[in-house]
Amino acid sequence: MADGGASSRGRAEAEAGSATREEVDRGDRNVETALAIEGVSKRFGDGDDAVLAVDDVSLTVERGSIVGLLGPNGAGKTTLIKCALGIVLPDAGSVRVFGTDVGDGRRAAYANVDAMLEGARNDYWRLTVRENLRYFATIAGVDPDSVRARHDRLLDRLDLTEKADTPVRELSRGMKQKVSLASVLAGGAELVFLDEPTLGLDIESSRTLRRELRRLAREEGLTIVLSSHDMGVVEDVCDRVVMMADGRIVADDTVSALRSGTDRDVVRVVSADIDDALVASLRERFDVRAVETEIGGIERGGDEVERGGDEVERGGDEVERGGDEVERGGDEDERGEGEMDERDEGDRDGTGSTAVEVAAAGDALYDLMDALREAGVTVEDIETVRPELEDVFVDLTGTEAGIDSRRRSP
Amino acid sequence: MSRDDSAASDGGSAPASAAVDSADEPRPATYYHLARAVLYREYLIFVRYPANAIGGIVVALFFFGVLFYGGRLLAGQALTDSLSGIIVGYFLWTLSVGAYSSVSNDIGSEVQWGTLERHITTPFGFAPVALLKGAAKVVRTFLTSAVVLAVMLLLTGTRLSLDPFTVIPVAGLAITSVLGLGFAAGGVTVLYKRIGNWLNLLQFGFIALISAPVLDAPWTRFLPLAHGSAMLQRAMVDGVRLWEFGLADLALLVGVAAGYLLGGYVVFHYATRRARRLGVLGDY
Repeated sequence: MADGGASSRGRAEAEAGSATREEVDRGDRNVETALAIEGVSKRFGDGDDAVLAVDDVSLTVERGSIVGLLGPNGAGKTTLIKCALGIVLPDAGSVRVFGTDVGDGRRAAYANVDAMLEGARNDYWRLTVRENLRYFATIAGVDPDSVRARHDRLLDRLDLTEKADTPVRELSRGMKQKVSLASVLAGGAELVFLDEPTLGLDIESSRTLRRELRRLAREEGLTIVLSSHDMGVVEDVCDRVVMMADGRIVADDTVSALRSGTDRDVVRVVSADIDDALVASLRERFDVRAVETEIGGIERGGDEVERGGDEVERGGDEVERGGDEVERGGDEDERGEGEMDERDEGDRDGTGSTAVEVAAAGDALYDLMDALREAGVTVEDIETVRPELEDVFVDLTGTEAGIDSRRRSP
Repeated sequence: MSRDDSAASDGGSAPASAAVDSADEPRPATYYHLARAVLYREYLIFVRYPANAIGGIVVALFFFGVLFYGGRLLAGQALTDSLSGIIVGYFLWTLSVGAYSSVSNDIGSEVQWGTLERHITTPFGFAPVALLKGAAKVVRTFLTSAVVLAVMLLLTGTRLSLDPFTVIPVAGLAITSVLGLGFAAGGVTVLYKRIGNWLNLLQFGFIALISAPVLDAPWTRFLPLAHGSAMLQRAMVDGVRLWEFGLADLALLVGVAAGYLLGGYVVFHYATRRARRLGVLGDY
């Protein structure tokens, strides 16, 4: 159980420098720093219109890890990535890539870095897929003839072999996205920045891409900094999540630590035997977080005030659940940016049952079970309610994923 | 590349994959590879999308046709007397427009596609790529303008001295200064996206430069195109060979070309640097 919010903890860690923590975690493994950002700040505009896009951010990424960069629009993710790349020059701070300062030894540093930025083509549509790979390998400082076999493997793994000699402009959007990624990987960069890499991809392509990213990190030691609004992608792929809000890092931890770190060890019990009297007595002894009755309305107790909007969603959701179960069986890949809060609540039991969600960890859990036994409750279903990464995100950034916190998106 | 070492030391990867990796050990690319890649890309686009080039030729010939037949109708003999001069000037103008617009438009496109940013984050940077592209555009423009010139000569029955060893260096150096203007315009477009279209109007200013009165106002020789245009007239109309020009003339031709190219590049460099500071590079 975390005492204190993840927010303050994450911030403290971020400020202390996460390298220390990682080195301790990794023990005697040969930890090499791929990216070291120190005290980077960037302000756009001047006077009253000035926007502090990145505010004294420090971040260390070790070789071979996949770090997810999360944050609402305007949180400074893209600006931070562009600062790390040197596409945007920071006002203060330094960026080191594999030990080389991007500020002065620019050329040397860039031999190992590439990026796929959101909203850009990133490659030449009038060239074929293979021509793009060869061109971008060359400008990344690699003789394309020497990596021909590597390009073939890359095309094969991204299911692009058949399209290798097709001009990119003739491909579908998802294919183009994959070509863009392939062209980033073509030069053998060891550190890549991917801004919304799965945007516009269908389920299958997104899966392929995730699988390939994990494989590249695991087998080839590729270091990936991935920015996305899609929590599913981040949860699926990233070892570590850095959350940004208003230009600062508000959390920096593993996905599981972020999810378990919040004060959310909640148990959900479903039974037809739970009546109002029992609920009342449970409320006296335990921290009851939610009660859900057959009608589908949900009554929240305690501190969940900010989730008001969510409750409405849930209520409506319940009503709709008649016939469309099949559709909901789909993959989480399907989630678009705007529909993030449609989470799978797990199967709710049939009519007549009541669900209670109780914050009960450690001994409190045994007490709860005893209380239920005494009341003669036959438990139909019991599960621990783990917060989605998105809940943590909402807690820490105060915004829903995909919703602007500020108008400007630099 | 230490990728293979790290993959091997991870222990997780199979020995087989390590063996495969060592078989295609990446070799560093040199400027030769870079030149080959950039020029090959330009070549591919040129042959794969000939419509652009053909369109340019057709438009150039259409305007010349209007100029020639319209002029003959209005000016009669006067036009015929100065026809060879007009053809040389028009030839140089199509070269200039081709070089200028292809470079400035190209930079605009690369910014829009996000490919310019990718060049900045490479060991080579965008500078050599831009210069090589510029060279490729000049070659391309020579090919299309040669077609225009040939048709003009056939159409009018005019004879000009076409010694390639004189015409290509003189015209090439003349339009190198325009290439510099193209880089400068491209740089300004990176900073101020909307200005780009207005800068295309500069092309019509080239007519004034090509017909600058270099004899009456010698200072105009320091402007782009003017001195080179005068030399090209002498070479093509009067048949002066390259080695028959005075050393001072040749030196000035080279100096103007290098000066404007360098100046244009400096403008481009500082414009992109300022764009990076303002954070507008690749702000689509």
